[in-house]
Amino acid sequence: MAIFLQLLFTGIGIGAVYSLVALGFVLIYRATNVVNFAQGEFAMLGAYLMVVTTADLGLPYWAAIPISLAGMGLIGALFNLGVYYPLRHRSFLPVVISTIGASILLQNSVLVGYGPAPESLAGMFDFPGFQIGEVFLDSQYLLIIGVTILLVAFQYFFFEHTILGKKMQATSQDKEMASLLGIPVARMIMLTFVYSAILGGLAGILVAPILFVSVGLGSQVALKAFAASIIGGFGDVTGAIVGGLSLGIIETFGAAYISVPYKDAFAFLVLFGFLLIRPQGIFGEKVAQKA
Amino acid sequence: MTTRSIKAIPPVAPLLVIAALASIVLPLVHPMNGYMLNLFMQAATYAMAVLGLTVVLGYAGQISIAQAGFFGLGAYGVAIGTTMLHLPFVLALLLGVAVAGLLGAVLGASTLKLGGHYLAMVTISFQQILTLVLTNWIGLTHGPDGIRNIPRPSLFDVSLQDSDRYLALCLIVLYGVGIFVWWLKGTKLGLGMQAVRDNELAAEVVGVDTYRVKVTAFCLSAVLGGLGGGLFAGGFGYISPDQFSFNESVVFLTMVLLGGADAALGSAVGTALLILLPEWLRFLRGAYLAVYGLAVILIMVFMPTGLWGVLSRFAGPPRRVDHGVPDALTLGDPDARDGGVLLEIKGLAKHFGGLKALDGVDISVERGKVHALIGPNGSGKTTMLNVLSGIYRPTRGEVLVDGVKVSGLAPHALAAAGVGRTFQNIRLFHSLTVFENVVIGAQRPFNRAAETPAQVRRRALAALDFVGMADRAEVKVASLPYGHQRLVEIARALAGNPTLLLLDEPAAGLNLTEKQELVGLLKRLAGHGLTLFLIDHDMNLVEQMADRITVLNFGKRIAEGAPAEVLRHPDVIAAYLGEVPDDAAA
Amino acid sequence: MPLLELVELSAAYGAVEALKTLSLHVGEGEIVALLGSNGAGKSTTLRTISGLMKPKAGRVLFDGKDIAGLHPETVVRLGVAHVPEGRRVFPGLTVRENIMLGASNRSGLARRQLDAEVEEMFDLFPDIRRFSGALGWTLSGGQQQMVAVARGLMSKPRLLLLDEPSLGLAPLIVQQVFRIIVRIRERGTTVLLVEQNARTALSVADRGYVLETGRLVVEGKPDALWNNEEVRAAYLGGRVVESA
Repeated sequence: MAIFLQLLFTGIGIGAVYSLVALGFVLIYRATNVVNFAQGEFAMLGAYLMVVTTADLGLPYWAAIPISLAGMGLIGALFNLGVYYPLRHRSFLPVVISTIGASILLQNSVLVGYGPAPESLAGMFDFPGFQIGEVFLDSQYLLIIGVTILLVAFQYFFFEHTILGKKMQATSQDKEMASLLGIPVARMIMLTFVYSAILGGLAGILVAPILFVSVGLGSQVALKAFAASIIGGFGDVTGAIVGGLSLGIIETFGAAYISVPYKDAFAFLVLFGFLLIRPQGIFGEKVAQKA
Repeated sequence: MTTRSIKAIPPVAPLLVIAALASIVLPLVHPMNGYMLNLFMQAATYAMAVLGLTVVLGYAGQISIAQAGFFGLGAYGVAIGTTMLHLPFVLALLLGVAVAGLLGAVLGASTLKLGGHYLAMVTISFQQILTLVLTNWIGLTHGPDGIRNIPRPSLFDVSLQDSDRYLALCLIVLYGVGIFVWWLKGTKLGLGMQAVRDNELAAEVVGVDTYRVKVTAFCLSAVLGGLGGGLFAGGFGYISPDQFSFNESVVFLTMVLLGGADAALGSAVGTALLILLPEWLRFLRGAYLAVYGLAVILIMVFMPTGLWGVLSRFAGPPRRVDHGVPDALTLGDPDARDGGVLLEIKGLAKHFGGLKALDGVDISVERGKVHALIGPNGSGKTTMLNVLSGIYRPTRGEVLVDGVKVSGLAPHALAAAGVGRTFQNIRLFHSLTVFENVVIGAQRPFNRAAETPAQVRRRALAALDFVGMADRAEVKVASLPYGHQRLVEIARALAGNPTLLLLDEPAAGLNLTEKQELVGLLKRLAGHGLTLFLIDHDMNLVEQMADRITVLNFGKRIAEGAPAEVLRHPDVIAAYLGEVPDDAAA
Repeated sequence: MPLLELVELSAAYGAVEALKTLSLHVGEGEIVALLGSNGAGKSTTLRTISGLMKPKAGRVLFDGKDIAGLHPETVVRLGVAHVPEGRRVFPGLTVRENIMLGASNRSGLARRQLDAEVEEMFDLFPDIRRFSGALGWTLSGGQQQMVAVARGLMSKPRLLLLDEPSLGLAPLIVQQVFRIIVRIRERGTTVLLVEQNARTALSVADRGYVLETGRLVVEGKPDALWNNEEVRAAYLGGRVVESA
């Protein structure tokens, strides 16, 4: 039982990271109908910005985090201008390929700067965590879970209770109608990219002390997050969170009870299963094509 | 399957043949250093895999980010087959290719019913799982250490141990693959793929089984990837999992995009360029993948058709192809009975959630007659046409053509049953020529008027001639004016020799002269005894054309009869012009 | 000076010409109906005025100022609200939120003021008040139409462009919608109305224009138009003789 609870705790912690990246996917998808294959690189860049600010510049954590997040916002804006905006009137395939190109570009640019050896980032707290009975609650995992809960609450408040949130929702539902009402559509899309990049960056910052900071961090997390959003139901915010948590838990238990080397394969096997049996995911994007 | 290609031999072919022969012979008589040989070997084997992407991405428009995975399957097939199972090289190669093809088919079959981002995701996942398996199934693959000492084959008692000879083999296979991929583009299958890429719905409606075509393209691409990988393993004698990673898949993708995804030669050029480029850009060594990534974005933004597309823009106007003298177009089945009901719609209903777009409609269309369906906006006309052509499944009721129940069939099956259609917002295969568009129409399954490839071409030409577009056969449809595009769409439907032709607002967007020409064309069709079922808003046209009119309003039939009486029917006038509300006027 | 004046306006969808040198004007306080069959260019006219389409040639004068080719977000700020065909109610937002977003063109609006104006709309459209918390997609066609019009009015327009408000609505609901159009004019908003339903449109309009394949065929007072053979021909074909 103790082992079960311990694994559950770890699974939820990892799953929360997947959820954050998946949320970024979903927000961009809803605003632009584009699947951003570079979403994981936002997490990777966030982690590296922390390395730059804490290790290279020697800033304390409380200063490094806001600076890194601001940097992520800037990266999101540039990403929109360079990768999405010039292609916004084109079909699905060119945009997807363009985001894949961006993913390669970002990964390898960092590789040139920092090399393949992973950097390590200290946890945010000095104390390791709490021991409750036979279950050990690691402080970094607690932080991840806490921040995710806060963010989900914030996002709920933002989209459900602010006019700006409503305008962003309107933009993702019908761009032409939104612009007829005077909602600045281009600015709403820009905001979406900025926010998604910050979300992704935050996921990277949170997970960095657990996973090591490497160039591959992004693709590792992004693929799981993408799988999570399909499992949850593509385009659905709740689905992204539930999908991310489920994947984290499945993966942790799979590694513990089935096989460690194939830990990363479980996510994809679950994904294949869903694609075959229930492609619209738990919360169901409509996959049926319209004539 | 029709095995003839409509591709004509290009005028530069002799030059290409000479260059190809020279590239095979030169290394044999004039030895190169080992490094250059390796580079060429890599380019030749990579190019095969890239040609696979030409098929799946370029022709069929389906994304695959797992080509390195299939390449790896071929390579491991050869490696494991020769070193562990001690199979002859060729048998091991076949094993690798078969495994790649099989997995490609399974992957394609399980996801190609879904949209594009699912496919992208699934191919990436497959790529990742494969890398995990190659790294961790140590008993079979030797894990990260890879497999060494992979032998090269002897063919017909000629040992290919020497690199220059082995390169010659690779080049011969590559040229074979290149010619196959080029040839494929003009075959029934290849045209079907391009039809799917350009307009999937239209492809279905002219009789292309789009799902099968997509899965075939995916499988073919995997086979070519496996072939390249197998030869790669023999060429280098050593393979390891990192050679077949996600990053390599992206390299393959860049190569095909840079060259121009839908041209075989373009893909080869893209491959050669990107293999040689890092040699020239040695100073970038560490950053070359970053440059790749940037190149992908820039190609997408500035050069969506690739190098080949840019080059062919300078190639001048299309060559005139002499198709000979067009035949007269035959229409309808000579054995068919005269008269009687051809299309019978019984109690047809189509509901979208709570909206009853069609609510129990009965219509009988007599053979050889022109039947028009009219009604105000939103009355259910287009829904009716979409049900009749199989795009929607009816909620209730049934549709019989020639006494055979066809409701519930897929659009391509309906096309095969002889139901042709055009679309209000013209749906042509926009990157193909007029002739290719109509050939795809003539290739509909069970088209008795065009059973052999030669008949298909003659049929297409006859259909074009019938609508007066035979002299524009080699023009790309995208460059035609709107009115001509409509004629091409009608010709595409006629080429399939339908027993029933559904016309969805054929006059929409036409000017007055074009409308008159259209009426003339439709009258000639009716004169040939073709049964027409059309919807249109132009009452002058409907009145001139129709033998019988059915009027819909709110998904229900409100009137039916001869044009003169129907158009004077009070309910019809009320439906169109509206009734005076009792107390709305201020 | 008319509030809106179109001067030789031409527009096209790619190769398809949709409007050919169309000129018309709408005076302050008028209800003007734009009639014609499907594909005549009525919706295109509205789309070109509101900036969804860029004209190929010609001018769109609003209050004397040329607004042709301006972005829709700018046009609505100048006081032109466009309620497009098919209502286009945001399906995932509630009725109240939909209406609230109608004021997006007016910056610096206090939340309290906004809430008060939404209440005003519910006074004007009492039928939709009880659905204020329901999501847009759950409403019927007529209710959606009222939400769409209310949302358009929230921008405090001087000119309201209404595209096919009767489309797909049962006759009784059509009457309700048109009563509201009359009320809107009484509140001081000018209305340019596109309709297929000629009879209903002419029953509330001060003047009307009839389009056929992108050209102006005839214009005039409702009575004159109603009895004009050209108008009937535009809808029902040339040889249909007067009946009913």
